[in-house]
Amino acid sequence: MSDRTLLEVEDLHLHYQTRRGVVRAVDGVSFDVRRNEALVVLGESGCGKSSLAKALMRVLPRNVHQVSGRVTLDGTELLAMSDESFRRDVQWVRMALVMQASMNALNPVVRVGEQVVEPLRVLRQWPRARAMARAVEVFELVGVSTDFLQRYPLELSGGMRQRVVLAMALVAEPELVILDEPTSALDVLTQAGIMNLLKRLKRELGTSFILITHDVATSSELADRVALMYAGQIVEVADAVQFFTEPAHPYSKMLMASVPRLRQEHRPEPILGQPPSLLEPPSGCRFADRCPSCFKRCAQDPKFIRLGDRRRVRCWLYAEGGDR
Amino acid sequence: MSRETATRSPAGRGLMRDLRRLSIYTVKRLLALFVTVLVGVYLTIVIANMGGQVDELRMVQIRSEAAESVRANPDFQGMSSEERNQLIQRRVALEVERLRLDEPFILRSVDYLQQAISLNLGRAEQMHSDRGSRQVYDIIVERLPATLLLFGTANLLVFFVSVFSALSLSRRYGSLLDRCVIALAPSSAAPGWFYGIFLILLFAFVMPVLPASGMVAAPPPEGIWAYAASVLRHMLLPLTAMFVSQLFVSIYSWRTFFLIHSSEDYVEMARAKGLPSNLIERRYILRPTLAPIITSFLLMLVGLWSGAIILEQVFNWPGLGSLLFQAIGHRDTPVIIGSVVIFAYLLAMTVFLLDILYALLDPRIRIEGGER
Repeated sequence: MSDRTLLEVEDLHLHYQTRRGVVRAVDGVSFDVRRNEALVVLGESGCGKSSLAKALMRVLPRNVHQVSGRVTLDGTELLAMSDESFRRDVQWVRMALVMQASMNALNPVVRVGEQVVEPLRVLRQWPRARAMARAVEVFELVGVSTDFLQRYPLELSGGMRQRVVLAMALVAEPELVILDEPTSALDVLTQAGIMNLLKRLKRELGTSFILITHDVATSSELADRVALMYAGQIVEVADAVQFFTEPAHPYSKMLMASVPRLRQEHRPEPILGQPPSLLEPPSGCRFADRCPSCFKRCAQDPKFIRLGDRRRVRCWLYAEGGDR
Repeated sequence: MSRETATRSPAGRGLMRDLRRLSIYTVKRLLALFVTVLVGVYLTIVIANMGGQVDELRMVQIRSEAAESVRANPDFQGMSSEERNQLIQRRVALEVERLRLDEPFILRSVDYLQQAISLNLGRAEQMHSDRGSRQVYDIIVERLPATLLLFGTANLLVFFVSVFSALSLSRRYGSLLDRCVIALAPSSAAPGWFYGIFLILLFAFVMPVLPASGMVAAPPPEGIWAYAASVLRHMLLPLTAMFVSQLFVSIYSWRTFFLIHSSEDYVEMARAKGLPSNLIERRYILRPTLAPIITSFLLMLVGLWSGAIILEQVFNWPGLGSLLFQAIGHRDTPVIIGSVVIFAYLLAMTVFLLDILYALLDPRIRIEGGER
């Protein structure tokens, strides 16, 4: 673990108990995030991206069956902490979350200014005046007029609300902000505005981001590194440029081939088939069914194989002596 | 916006704007409610008079009463039947003029409406209060405290017990206690009087520890404390009957309500923000849902005013429910209309209060209400 590493996640599992059995939404995920780095977690819907965010932030639904692994934030082991001390010392103050569907993430009957400073007022017992001064700061930071401090959420447009939620995430100056599909409910222009804002914030504040998304195009704007998830596991982690120009895992390759390009003569190719159920995931490589380069060894669980300095791939194609 | 308000701080401006919207909204609601009361009371007048059909019944009654009184009076014994008939005709005509039965019903109905709306409820035709007054107003006011006491206590108990146990139950979703309450919810399928009959059987006859009916022992005990104790003893059985019949379904529905509202995105966000759970419960679950909670509370209070017809009969409780029952039995139109008028006013006042409270509590209503 280098001293530039902020968050280190090792073998994280989050399983849900359902009527039909145990759903392995996050099944042995490992990655790390450096200071002032934006890690994009890419994946199609249902691959466990949001569950990953929930497991990191400890916002868990009632039917959790198992959470295990190791999550270290700047030397603090998070999963070992009690709920109470996690809530008091880590949540929001060191690590904040911008949730999916944040259109509805604001309490409709509380003025947005109040909501934004709530973590400061409640967790740090700041006096009102000081907290509101900070609210003015973060509103200016995210480009929302300070007039809106006294408004209610329904008086704000979707893009404004998203910025307010972002301001709320930044209010306690956390080291890490997790953004779960922050732009998926917005139109393209507003999306672009938010992405530009995120880029600026990363540059100015030095905050680290984990951006969870299914949208390859928007993610490429912010990403320093990319982690690609498939069926509850990470199949490839690589630097963004490397990932987007020469993807290694067969799924990454097919994913990049499925994205329409503006300036190239390129026909998007869909990935045929369905991801496996997370209820009882097949043993061996989970992508084997849809993989064009599947071979005998894929019936065994693939290891995470290190390729070069900062790239790792979960695929037998890259194993030592792993030729067919 | 004038220059003066434009230069105020954003907070002051927000408040001014809210106040202006609130007052426009209030006036609109008041007008709408008044029209509602008018329509409701007028419909009752038309229905209770059967669209004027009752007039014919009344004519028959007037004629027979006039004939009876003339025949029974020894002063008129010496008259010829011709003279006596004329006398009867004159008396009928007088009575018709007094009640203005010669005018079309539609004209009179407007007068009735005006009287009813100005709370001039008139005299009962058959019934009278225990003190002997025939004024509808006196009759109703005499019965009101009994109903309010019994139903107020019962409903307040049910409401607060169920809301608070539902809130704690929604935290323990799926626990044994939770499942027990759900299993008991169908117990509310039977109405209160049904449990009342069994309670009377058990506690008044099998084990005679409590009085079976009435509101106070006869003769009423001297002294305010002895009187109160006696009323309390009489209240116990009807109270239990209502409590048992309403409690579980009420807990069940509130629990479901809180469960739904505790899975809103903003509640999850509040959890992610690391807020303590009692604050989340107060500010993120109770406060956004305060409007429906208060609605249900106030509508329950309105429900009190009408009493419960069968329960009051079973326990022989001298309240408004049994009054209405008797009035319908006697076809005493003024009493029926009187109770409906009072009920309509109370309902309208409650709804108005609710509208204002909504607007104060919930910016979603305040802001949209003022802009339309």
